[in-house]
Amino acid sequence: MSSKFVSRFALGAYLIIFFSYLLGPLLVMSLTAFNSSGFPSVSPWACFTYEWFTVLFKDERILGSILNSLKIGAGTVILSVSMGLAASLVLTQVWPKLRTTYYTLIIAPILIPGVVLGISTVVFWDKVGRMFGPSTEAFFHNGLLLTILGQSTFIASYCMLVFVARLQRFDPGLTEAALDLGATHTQAFRKILLPFMRPAIASAAVLAFLASFENYNTTTFTFGNYPTLTIELAQKVRYGINPSISSLAFIIIALTVFGALAVEAVRRNSARKEAISEGKAVAKSGSKLPGFLRGNPAAFGFVGLAIVAIVMIGTAQSHDPQQCKMQVREAKQVEIQKRIEELRQQRLIKDQTDARQGPDIFGTPDSEGSDAPKAPSGSGAFGGVFAPTNLDNEDSD
Amino acid sequence: MKKQMIFAQFFKNNGLLMGSLLIGLVGFWVIVLVVLPQLSMLDYSFRYNLPPADLGGPKDVYTLHNYKHLLYGAEGSEGTYNTVDLMVFVRTIIAAMLVTIANILMCYPLAYYLGQSKGSGFVRLLVVLLIIPYWINEILRAFALRIIFGDSGLINEVLMLTHLTSEPIDFIRQDIALYAGLGYAYILLMLFPMYNVIESLDRNQIEAARDMGASWVRIHRRIVIPHAKPGIASGATMVFMLSAGALAAPQVLGGPSSLWFTQLVYQWFNDSLNWQQGAAYAMVLLVSTIVIVIGLMRVFKVNMGDIGK
Repeated sequence: MSSKFVSRFALGAYLIIFFSYLLGPLLVMSLTAFNSSGFPSVSPWACFTYEWFTVLFKDERILGSILNSLKIGAGTVILSVSMGLAASLVLTQVWPKLRTTYYTLIIAPILIPGVVLGISTVVFWDKVGRMFGPSTEAFFHNGLLLTILGQSTFIASYCMLVFVARLQRFDPGLTEAALDLGATHTQAFRKILLPFMRPAIASAAVLAFLASFENYNTTTFTFGNYPTLTIELAQKVRYGINPSISSLAFIIIALTVFGALAVEAVRRNSARKEAISEGKAVAKSGSKLPGFLRGNPAAFGFVGLAIVAIVMIGTAQSHDPQQCKMQVREAKQVEIQKRIEELRQQRLIKDQTDARQGPDIFGTPDSEGSDAPKAPSGSGAFGGVFAPTNLDNEDSD
Repeated sequence: MKKQMIFAQFFKNNGLLMGSLLIGLVGFWVIVLVVLPQLSMLDYSFRYNLPPADLGGPKDVYTLHNYKHLLYGAEGSEGTYNTVDLMVFVRTIIAAMLVTIANILMCYPLAYYLGQSKGSGFVRLLVVLLIIPYWINEILRAFALRIIFGDSGLINEVLMLTHLTSEPIDFIRQDIALYAGLGYAYILLMLFPMYNVIESLDRNQIEAARDMGASWVRIHRRIVIPHAKPGIASGATMVFMLSAGALAAPQVLGGPSSLWFTQLVYQWFNDSLNWQQGAAYAMVLLVSTIVIVIGLMRVFKVNMGDIGK
C-alpha cells in the first residue's frame, strides 16, 4: 500500500516537473507582456500595462511580415498538400522492391537539417536562373518563391505521413467498383477518393500552414526581400529585446490554446458520432450546461477567450498605468538617492578614519559631502596613500 | 523492359491524366526539390568562390579547398589543424547526442504513463497541454527561456531571494540556457512517437509478466522497451538531426564565445557571402549526421521504415 503511495507521489512530482518545464517558460513570457519595465521580466514587477500591445500594433515591420507569412503559408499549403497526396498514392502502388527506397527518399526531407535545405534551394535556383539567362534571374531570386519551394520540400513529407495513415483505412474495392461501373479515373478520384481523404487533407493543410508559419532554419536563407514573421522576430530577439515581443507571444499562445481545444473538440465529436453510429454509446443527456457548451472544450475556450478580450479592452479604457509608472519612477529615484547617500556615508567614514590614522603632514582631509566622489583620498597630492587602511577601503567603494 | 511494364501498369491503374499528374507531382518533389538541390550544393562545395566575371572561365575548376579549410584553416597555415571550427563541430555533435539521450530519459516515463492509462479525461487534457508548446514558434520558445535564464531573469531572482547565490549566475555564458533550450525545442518529437508505440502495447502482456513474478525493472527491459524500440528510434533520430541542425536556439541562447556548427554555416553564407564555403560546411554536417544516424540504426537494429510512424 505504502509503495503504491510512493509511486503515485513520484508520478505526480514527475508530471509537475515535466509540465512546468514545458509550459512554465511560456507562462512567464506571457506575463512579461503586461509588465511596464523596459526589459521583459516579471520579478521586479513595475506596473500592469497594455502599452506593449500598442507598441506591437504600431510596428510596421511586424505587420508587413505577417502578410508575407500568410502568403508563403498559402503557397506552401497548396504545393505540399498536393505533393504529399500524390506521393502517398504512389506509395500504395509502388513496386514492392522499390518501396523501401522510395519511402526513404520521401521521408528523408524531414531528417535533412533545415539549414541544408535552405542553402541547397538557394544554390540550385541560382544555378537555374543563370542557365536561363539574366532576364529571368529576378524571378529565381524571388524570396516568396524560394521560401515556398524550400519549405514545401520537407513539409510535403509531413503531409505525406498524414495521408498514408488515412489511406490505410481506404478500401480500394470502392474505386474498382466505380471503374467497373464506367467511371473515368478522374471521376473515381474526385467522387470516391477525394471525399474519403477530406479530413486528412484538412488536417494536413493545418499542419502545413503551422509548420510554414513557424519555420526559421530554412527561411532564414531563402527569404530575400520578404521577411516572414519568424525572421522579424529573430532579428528583434537578437538585436535588442523589448516586451512587445512578449505581447505578440501572448497573442500567439492564446490563439494556439484556442486552436488546440478546437481540434480536440472536433476529434471528440467525430469519435462520438462514430460510436453512436456503431450503436456502442447512446448520446448522453442530463448535463446541466447548455448543449452548446457540453463536452465542447473549444466552446469553453472560445468563451474564455472572449471574456479575456472583453476584460482587456474594458480595463484598457479605464486602466491608466501613468500614475503607477510615476510612482515606480519616484521609487527608483528614492532608491538612487538612498544609494548615493549610502556611498556618501561610506566615504565620510573612510575619510574620517583616514584623517584619524593618516599622517597629518599630508594635509587635513576634506570631508564635505559634495566633494566626496571627487576626493576619495583626501586633498593632499598623495592623499592618504600611506594610510594602512586605505587599501581595504578602496574595495568597498 | 521491366520498368516499362511497371509504368504501363501504373497508367492502367490510374488512367493517363491522373497517372501523369501523380508522376509529375512526385517527380517534381523528389527530383527538382530534393535531389537536384542537394547535388548542386555538392557541386558548389567543390568550387572556388569566384567573382561573376570568372564563372565558367579557366579558373572555374573543382577543388577540395573548401573542405581543407575546415580541416586546416585558411590557406598558408597548412600543417596545423583548424581547431576552432573542428571543436565547434565536435561539440555540436556530442551536445546533440547528449540532448537526445536526456530527452529519451525525460520522455519515457511520461510516454509510458500516457500510453498505458487509456482514455481517461485527465490524460486527454495532458495530451492537449502537450500540443500547445509544440505549435509556438521556435524563436519565441527560445526567447521565453532567455527571459528566464537572463541575468535578472526569474531563476536568478529566485536564487538570490533564497540566498542560494549572492550574485547572478551567468547561465547564458555557461551554455546552460543553450542546452535547456535545445532539450526544450524538440522534446515533443521524442514524446509522441514513443507514446504512439507504447499505446499499442497490449496491457495483458505486462499483467502476465507481473503475475509470473517479474520485477518492475524486468518488465520494462524485456517487454515495454523492446516493443517501444521503433518509437524511441524514430524520436531519437528526429531529435538528434534537428538539434544538430538547430539554428534558432543557438542564435538566441548561445553565449557570445560559443558557436553551434550551423552558426558557422550561417556566417559563411550570409555574413561572408561565401556560398561555396557554406555549402561545404553544410555538406559536412549533412553527411556526418546521416552517417551517425544510419550507424546507430544498425547497432540497435532498427529499419528506416519505422521513422515517422
